[in-house]
Amino acid sequence: MEIEFEESKKNLWKEIYNNENLHHCFNCGTCLTGCPASNGDPPLLVRNLARMIILGLEEELLEEDSPWYCVSCSKCEEMCPMDVKPFEMILAIRKWQSYNDVTYVPTSIVEIYKRGYTQAVGVNTKLRESLGLPELPTITKNPEMLAQFQEMLMKTPVISDNDYMFKGK
Amino acid sequence: MDLCLFLGCNTPAIRPDVESAIRMSMPEVGVDLIDLPGYVCCPAFGSFPSTDVESQYSASGWNLSLAEQRGHDIVVQCGSCYSSLRMGLEHLHEDEKLRTKVNELLEPTGRQVECKVNVHHISKILYQDVGLEKIAEKITKNMKGMHGVVQYPCHTLFPSEVVGFEESSRKPVALRQLTETLGATVDPYSLEYQCCGGAGGFSNMSPAEADAFSQRKLDAIIKETKAEFMVTSCITCLMYLDNIQMKLNKKAGKEIYNLPVFDYNQLLALCLGADPDKVATISGISREKIIDHFR
Repeated sequence: MEIEFEESKKNLWKEIYNNENLHHCFNCGTCLTGCPASNGDPPLLVRNLARMIILGLEEELLEEDSPWYCVSCSKCEEMCPMDVKPFEMILAIRKWQSYNDVTYVPTSIVEIYKRGYTQAVGVNTKLRESLGLPELPTITKNPEMLAQFQEMLMKTPVISDNDYMFKGK
Repeated sequence: MDLCLFLGCNTPAIRPDVESAIRMSMPEVGVDLIDLPGYVCCPAFGSFPSTDVESQYSASGWNLSLAEQRGHDIVVQCGSCYSSLRMGLEHLHEDEKLRTKVNELLEPTGRQVECKVNVHHISKILYQDVGLEKIAEKITKNMKGMHGVVQYPCHTLFPSEVVGFEESSRKPVALRQLTETLGATVDPYSLEYQCCGGAGGFSNMSPAEADAFSQRKLDAIIKETKAEFMVTSCITCLMYLDNIQMKLNKKAGKEIYNLPVFDYNQLLALCLGADPDKVATISGISREKIIDHFR
């Protein structure tokens, strides 16, 4: 890849991941050791992402979907000798991408908005009964509480910017 | 000891037998569980933590405030829920500006977060608070003569600064010693500390490579150990390691992998005399060989 440094956005790191330690990254690659998703095709190369932010490669980074391959094991965060906190960095890149390109916004947030959970919690009543389990006090059983939860979320940036995704049943 | 039980999504919805095992076994070893009416998604790392700071930490704050109202710490089995709630607690505790912002969002709902309760993983409670001696004393059945391997949930190890409770995250011991306390022999193997590969996008985005990643672990278990079962303490590890064996068998057209996977509390409940049909019924790979031992 040829990089046009003239056109790169020098302060991109402040926008994406405002952590001074990012600049201490010396590309050692410890973050790749033990990273399950570094085995992927294409691989998740955490140190390259750090480099892209530091160099201000805005367009390239917006098109980069490898941050979404991360399994969130956080081993990179444990091992990074420069305290870059690479897992926090990955979440920060995802946030920045979601904010700037709606196609990144995960549909799971619509599920959580509508029923409180990513899965259909509390609807498997017969199975639960057969195991002797009590009825679950889910948020959907308390419509007033669910409405409060939704009103709270509607004031947060990505949901309010894309409110059409959250309307209707 | 009273603790608020945070169940998350996968356990009650897909593997409620694990929930049943937790609800049965914890009070038997002196931990009474309190439900959290109105709890919501932890939030899962692939959801709000991937969209914006405000929704991520207001969802964390919502859940933490429920436990604060009850005045008891939280206990979690799911590794992802544990890690997300701990991250929420850590940031809300350390970052006053964030806490103020989240409390502004929470205020109209009549709640607030003060970061005055802690979040514990269930294996930490069993290992450090209940203790191995008490578990050994309470069990009425044991697993003597049986060999198993342990799967440490990454989310309970890394980053140790935020989630850790082991003396060394590089060489964790809790789950091994807890399993040995039930009488089983835990066999070591070369890929013991390798992630299951299950949480997050890797397995969806790069399925062939993700399958190979888990296959290496399973092959090492077969080659290097006498394991008849696998034990973990995370719903993601449990579901993934069970499902991947079925997937690999289907791909190969024959049954190569048949290692039943248990949550630790399922084995504990069985050793405490629980009915296997209530605490260990849902599984892809048959658990019968292990369960027969308890009938």
